[in-house]
Amino acid sequence: MTARNGVARFGRMLPLGRGRAKAADAALRPGRHVPVVPLVILVVLVLSAILAPIISPYSPLKIDLTHALLPPFYQAGGSLAHILGTDKVGRDVLTRLIYGGQVSLSLSVSVLLIGGSVGIILGLISGYAAGKLDTAIQRGVEVILSLPTIMVALVAVYVLGQSFLSVVLVLSPFIAARFARMVRGEALTIRKRSFVALAQVAGASHARIIIKHILPNVAGTIIVISTLEIGHLILLEASLSFLGVGVPPPTPAWGLMVADGREYLSTKYWLSLFPGLAIMATVLSINWLGDWLRDILDPKTQLL
Amino acid sequence: MIRYILGRVAQAIFSIFFITTLVFLLVRLTGDPSQILAPEFATSTVEDKIKVELGLDKPLYEQYAKYMGGLLTFNLGTSFRGPPVSQVLLDHLPATATLALAAIVVAIVVAVPLGVLSALRRGSKIDALARGVALFGQSVPGFWLAIMGILVFAVLLRWVPVAGRTGPSSYILPALVLGLAPVAGIVRLLRSSMLEVQDSDFVRMARAKGLPEGVIVRRHELRNAIIPVLTFAGLLVGGLMNGSVVVENVFAWPGIGKMTLDAVESRDFPVVQGTVIMSAIFLILANLVVDILYVLVDPRIRFKE
Repeated sequence: MTARNGVARFGRMLPLGRGRAKAADAALRPGRHVPVVPLVILVVLVLSAILAPIISPYSPLKIDLTHALLPPFYQAGGSLAHILGTDKVGRDVLTRLIYGGQVSLSLSVSVLLIGGSVGIILGLISGYAAGKLDTAIQRGVEVILSLPTIMVALVAVYVLGQSFLSVVLVLSPFIAARFARMVRGEALTIRKRSFVALAQVAGASHARIIIKHILPNVAGTIIVISTLEIGHLILLEASLSFLGVGVPPPTPAWGLMVADGREYLSTKYWLSLFPGLAIMATVLSINWLGDWLRDILDPKTQLL
Repeated sequence: MIRYILGRVAQAIFSIFFITTLVFLLVRLTGDPSQILAPEFATSTVEDKIKVELGLDKPLYEQYAKYMGGLLTFNLGTSFRGPPVSQVLLDHLPATATLALAAIVVAIVVAVPLGVLSALRRGSKIDALARGVALFGQSVPGFWLAIMGILVFAVLLRWVPVAGRTGPSSYILPALVLGLAPVAGIVRLLRSSMLEVQDSDFVRMARAKGLPEGVIVRRHELRNAIIPVLTFAGLLVGGLMNGSVVVENVFAWPGIGKMTLDAVESRDFPVVQGTVIMSAIFLILANLVVDILYVLVDPRIRFKE
């Protein structure tokens, strides 16, 4: 605490200048060291998703009507056999939460990998090539960014049918567009730096310049957008599942579980409470880490 | 500037053309459209009727011309329930528009003071609160917050109605839930742009002139810091659209979002298609208006091209 105050006071003594506010801000901010809480939450989440078949006590899909709608352990009638209770067809809620993490993460990561790579490539080309090619790519990006995501997803899932794959296909272009726009902005400024001109003079090919000189310089931005976008994606996927146009039941998706719990809301609130908490804890941790990463890497990404 | 605005208008027209064509093709490329377009338990005579009505027996370019012609005259076809799609949309518009407006009011009233104070008192408790609200608002799933809100404030405390659009009090919960995500966005953006502006030469000049602090904040800092927030307005409209589909469905709100999902469930394709097209057009136009306003507010953009 004293050290922090000391730095802050020192910051105030610095001569007026553009760097001053930033330096003081960074010193004041508690977030320069790794935020432990979100990191722990995410590690637990990822591990339990990967190890789901080993650690979860029950099957996420097996129906057992004799044990339907059991309350969580802390309520009268609940037991440690079903720590978070069971749903209306007797499936263990905790087990489905664990598998739900698998669904949520695998879907978001798939979209991020597909949409993200396409977006990064388009953004790099767009920013480096400038001129007509840039305009053409950016027109396309603008079109996608001006579409209402959930509305388009509604009609697309309607036409393509409800499946894991169609959700990935529907969401990928939106992610690609966001990446393309951000990466392009960075690439545009890097392109004007002298080392790019030097590489050109030295006879390096366009592909080599993009991969060896521009890509490493946008890596920070890419990492930061990825963390922000994955949180955004988990929320989108959950919303689509909740609305009944995401992954189809009986897949244990968190959004579906919240929706299923709704009909018992006034008497068995936990059915909706826990899956929602899982979504929030996940996205909050990711965004928290994302903010921290942005402070460290400090690219010019404010908000997209 | 005129050139810039004309360019943006051309862009918007292109976008509208693109999305309408995309929807047209999407329906026709994925198999026999009369099957997608027909209600779930339609007989083959109904399918045949739809085929003739939509001219699916005619060549593709003729179908396309008819479809685009219909759009130009706001003729979006008829719902399987009978009334024209345009009428269905107009009927549900007021509920959605008033709710969105309420959410925007919530967002501005909460977010602007919070964002400004957070930047002015950086590192203080109010700053921590603002950052907390922003992080929470960005991370909480709206549908779940809505359900938990209903549980606490409608079922347990009985302060507000559980669902439906029954009067002013029925607006409170949906508007708060719908407004939270925009609050988060505006607070983040305003805070960072205020911090940036505070560090600029003209603010230092104003301070050196001995202007009162209130004047500096209002006339010099906020007025400049609000500009990046304006660009966010386009995204905000898109976000509200996504949010209202979710919120309307939780609160059984008789607006366009709920109507669309009902149409998806009852496989009323003309309604789904019409709503998606109209909401995309609305969003594109909203973005266009924001971009034009932006140029008018900030003359620096004129030279940016």
